[in-house]
Amino acid sequence: MSPTTSMSGQLAGRNPANESAPVRIAVKDLNFYYGQFHGLKNVNLNFHDRQVTALIGPSGCGKSTLLRTFNRIYSLYPEQRAEGQILLDGQNVLDPKVDLNELRARVGMVFQKPTPFPMSIYDNVAFGLRLYERLPKSELDGRVEDALRKAALWDEVKDKMKQSGTGLSGGQQQRLCIARSVAQRPEVILFDEPTSALDPISTGRIEELIEQLRTEFTIVIVTHNMQQAARISQFTAFMYLGELIEFAPTTKIFMNPDKRQTQDYITGRFG
Amino acid sequence: MDARNPILATAPAGSFPPRANRVRPGRRIADKILITASTLATLIGIVVLGSILLMLIVEGIKGFSPMIFTQPTPGPGSEGGGIANAILGSLVLTVIGIVIATPVGVMAGTYLAEYGRNSKLADLIRFLNDILLSAPSILIGLFVYTLMVRPMGTYSGWAGGVALAIIATPVIVRTTEDMLRLVPSQMREAGVALGAPPSHVIKSVTWRAASAGIVTGILLALARIAGETAPLLFTALNNNSWFNANLLGGIPNLPVMIYQFALSPYQNWQSLAWAGALLITVTILALSIVARLVVKDQRAR
Repeated sequence: MSPTTSMSGQLAGRNPANESAPVRIAVKDLNFYYGQFHGLKNVNLNFHDRQVTALIGPSGCGKSTLLRTFNRIYSLYPEQRAEGQILLDGQNVLDPKVDLNELRARVGMVFQKPTPFPMSIYDNVAFGLRLYERLPKSELDGRVEDALRKAALWDEVKDKMKQSGTGLSGGQQQRLCIARSVAQRPEVILFDEPTSALDPISTGRIEELIEQLRTEFTIVIVTHNMQQAARISQFTAFMYLGELIEFAPTTKIFMNPDKRQTQDYITGRFG
Repeated sequence: MDARNPILATAPAGSFPPRANRVRPGRRIADKILITASTLATLIGIVVLGSILLMLIVEGIKGFSPMIFTQPTPGPGSEGGGIANAILGSLVLTVIGIVIATPVGVMAGTYLAEYGRNSKLADLIRFLNDILLSAPSILIGLFVYTLMVRPMGTYSGWAGGVALAIIATPVIVRTTEDMLRLVPSQMREAGVALGAPPSHVIKSVTWRAASAGIVTGILLALARIAGETAPLLFTALNNNSWFNANLLGGIPNLPVMIYQFALSPYQNWQSLAWAGALLITVTILALSIVARLVVKDQRAR
């Protein structure tokens, strides 16, 4: 009953999990409700600093829901609510007193479909920077370039910064959205299935990018693709029906999971 | 699986019964009747519309001359004359109307689409807006008559402009709301996720994404009020000469001019009415084409 060898092959060249890395986000007894529907049930989970944590599980298991609690983006929808604690550097982000805009500047998010704003590439990246900081032009230029370099997009767009962001290809648009997040220098970046709308080559580039971003940011990624989780993450959380089934270093989840359900899911018996 | 599906389960291809046998003859006849009926209905529509337009073009061109753009409307019994004062008056009234209606309409549409998504108040406003959209325009003229003309003691361009604004507003509210709803919610989430307050997201993301549609709505509203007659009868009235810069007193305008001149016994008045009607129609056509081009441009992006 050992997991497939193709999966272990993909795990071979990866950076090992650093289990002693400090905890950046601590989720404690988190419950989430969509109106009457109980979407997350008593989730307890720690996310380590500068590690990539993948959330996997079948559709509707609550992995995106969990991701969307970290920056409280769910609060756009009045019928959704969360109970429990999510400590970001010790501060409970679910506390009603938390300044949501500041929280969201600290916790960036990249969505499933690329969401470039209908404005120039430059303005897209500068969008978050212009919100709260009044930077001189030269510094703003520098921050925009820096962010685009970190998102591995600079060389492709440096000569067309004034063109609309919506004119880029899908993969470029997604990297533009990553640059937009990175420009704000967040502590955590949340990725909600960032490659599910992209072709394999663009997907590869985004994965490389996430690997590089890990040196600076704590990353949480929701993915449907188990190979992707195996390739890019240090830790993996397996969720099912709103519950956290198992959380462990990615190697352990894919090679030797403790729970039968995890084993069944990663070997493709259900999901 | 095939066993459950009698059509797929039947033996090799080629042995299907001929297609015709499987369709009841009654259905073929029903099909033919429906096609004939809808073609006929379309033809009737085209013929009616076409003959109206043809008549308008033939008669309108007869009345067209450079003079209509330079001379004011002629007095009863006098020769020649133009409709320059009515053109200018219509322009002024329409501009007043759209200048008032645009901010109100866009803001109200934004409330309905962005802030009031789940509120009962928004449902009520949307319902009332739909009623206003189809309210008889003469009523709106009477309403503004009571509201402005009576207290002010005079017909005025301001009253006419307000009446036209009341006609234009629900159109703009409706299109603004519809266009904003077409903006994917992920776009808003992406703005909010960067730490932007909702007002900023609306201002710099959603409005921008929906801008072409909103502009189209404004152009359509403009086209709508450019030809409105009834709301002006009790507000701007009409006037057979130039008007004051303060817009008090009757303001000449194309729709009411057409209405009055078409009913007159004077030959030159009637032909001026035709020319005015053609001018309005061409203007509305041009506005609609521009509106379509704007939408097309947006889709291309």
